Amino acid sequence: MRLSPDTIKTLADKRGMNLATLLTRAGVSKTAYYSLTRKDSVFPKSVGSLAEALGVSPSDLVIDREKEARRAKERMSRVAELSAKYPSLDVDNVRHTLILLDLEPEERLRRALLRGQTFDFHG
Amino acid sequence: MGRHLIFTDREAAFLRELVKNDVDFMIVGLSAATLQGAPAVTLDIDLWFKDLRQDGIARALMKVGGFYIPPNMQNPPMFGGEHVQLFDIVLHLDGLKSFAIEVRGAVEVPLGGVTIKVLPLSRIIASKKAAGREKDKRSLKVLQDAYLTIKEYSPAPTRRKKSKK
Repeated sequence: MRLSPDTIKTLADKRGMNLATLLTRAGVSKTAYYSLTRKDSVFPKSVGSLAEALGVSPSDLVIDREKEARRAKERMSRVAELSAKYPSLDVDNVRHTLILLDLEPEERLRRALLRGQTFDFHG
Repeated sequence: MGRHLIFTDREAAFLRELVKNDVDFMIVGLSAATLQGAPAVTLDIDLWFKDLRQDGIARALMKVGGFYIPPNMQNPPMFGGEHVQLFDIVLHLDGLKSFAIEVRGAVEVPLGGVTIKVLPLSRIIASKKAAGREKDKRSLKVLQDAYLTIKEYSPAPTRRKKSKK
């Protein structure tokens, strides 16, 4: 198990907080936070504080690597299956679509807007 | 520099107010495509209104501190104000039928704590094809590939709105 910085940033964004505000509310120092994100096992107390500040369960903030790996493998086999059925498909488009389908619609939209803002894409 | 906060509760509040005030609208364009799972990139959220004269629009804007900017020779109708700057107004889409007809096939997507009507991916593709602008052509391949993928594999498709008889 490892702390998921992406999940934490996303949940904080949704609550209108940046990371600094979240850490202050959770009473977790920046040093402790960045140290936590690099560790393979996390300290329940700090994770508990972050989860409490975000109003979620501590298990929502950690990455289950085995589960993630299993999911990625399943996804790639679906990509291969679909590409065989429809050879004109772009595998990256299929893969990215499958990744997005695992997310909530709101998060899909947030990512699209964030990329648009980052790359100044006009669409 | 940290990433900007984007589509936070401020923007969601506007959508909630539109729904609360019974405004007839749906999300269209690339933002609608991304809500359904297409890996598109966009700068704004296009809202297609049945009619801009709906009272609920003004009430929703007032609630979130936004305002309506009427069209003039230079600009189309727009929303002003920090909390609504992500939203663009759409009154017509190339290649599609009227709002009243298209809304019957809308899918319903949970967003910001409410359920929002969204133009289905197949109709977004039809509209991009009809518009035929360079930027539409660029996004078509992604949308078409996403459409096929979702058709085959969507684990929990968004609900298609039941049409009124």
